[in-house]
Amino acid sequence: MTNPITKDRRHFEDLQVGEVIALGPQLVTKQMIIGFAKEFDPLPFHLEEEAAKQSLLGGLAASGWHTGALSLRMLVDNFLSKTAFAGGLNFKNLRWHRPLFVNDTLSGSVTITELRRLKTRPQWANVTQQFDMRNQKGETVMTMTLSNIVDVRDPSKPIKDEDESEAQTQSETSKTQAAK
Amino acid sequence: MTRWYEDIEVDTPYPLGEHTFTAEEIIRFGQMYDPQYFHTDPEAAKQSHFGGLIASGWHTASIGHRKMVDALAAEAERLEGLGEKPGVAGPSPGINRMDFNSPVRPGDTVRYQHTVTQKRPSKSLPGWGVLHQRVEAFKTSDEPVYESEMVGFVKIRDFKPTLQIRLAMWLAQVPVLKKLIKR
Repeated sequence: MTNPITKDRRHFEDLQVGEVIALGPQLVTKQMIIGFAKEFDPLPFHLEEEAAKQSLLGGLAASGWHTGALSLRMLVDNFLSKTAFAGGLNFKNLRWHRPLFVNDTLSGSVTITELRRLKTRPQWANVTQQFDMRNQKGETVMTMTLSNIVDVRDPSKPIKDEDESEAQTQSETSKTQAAK
Repeated sequence: MTRWYEDIEVDTPYPLGEHTFTAEEIIRFGQMYDPQYFHTDPEAAKQSHFGGLIASGWHTASIGHRKMVDALAAEAERLEGLGEKPGVAGPSPGINRMDFNSPVRPGDTVRYQHTVTQKRPSKSLPGWGVLHQRVEAFKTSDEPVYESEMVGFVKIRDFKPTLQIRLAMWLAQVPVLKKLIKR
């Protein structure tokens, strides 16, 4: 039942609440902004400089979805692909605080705020991560709370009170029902 | 759907259309933005509890957003064809929540739907309304793929600013003051 792809990675037992993982930096070019926007968010203020200047954004800026995608890439490179993660559950309170303009640099960090074993699936735990993404001036660009599932190395170990949660989120319930 | 604030119907589901996810595009998105092995490597993905390649949740959500933008553009065209001026949508401040329910596999067709659940004039942006929107994605079997709630801005057609607001907006255009206000 061990997953050969992830068996040597860090598991639930190796993670700690309060752990901070640095993300980035990533320079965001005009080409990148337009490339993503053309495929996923072709609104004028993500494609053309003039239209963008007239808009609430004030200049050509990345789609918020692009900022999220870039942040996710950094998270995978620095954390998810080095840990026995098994899929995303949900995210909450994604806020796009200010635009990410052409030639801005995106960087930031993610902090583990909660680690919680799932009662109905002892081989899994919910890892809650708080994103704090900024531009090169240190100004907040995006914040978000993301929950992923991580494998537990020893599922036979009883779930301690502090690891346990009575209330599962809806997505956790659906996910455990959908699991093979 | 590029409607003016006044024309937007609350609690009316609006279909956004469907998208069929191919293995090629799942891998391409995964490689760029979410290179976890179950999004990029069909062979390795068999070792995961998913049993095979699945799309990144961010990919299925980004396609959902594209569908919404396409619907806005189609509605704008329709209104222009009728000689009417289409409404104006603004950038979104964020997404309150997105719950991923079931994974999308190569060959799956996902159907997207949008519902405005609440609308009110914005307190912080005069002339704009705030919309609370639900975007949901389903498989052909009606199995939920994801459910999300987000916030958006849309222009108010018949906006009558108070004298106070008109003065503030005029002042904000004065170059020196404009620079001061810009954070």
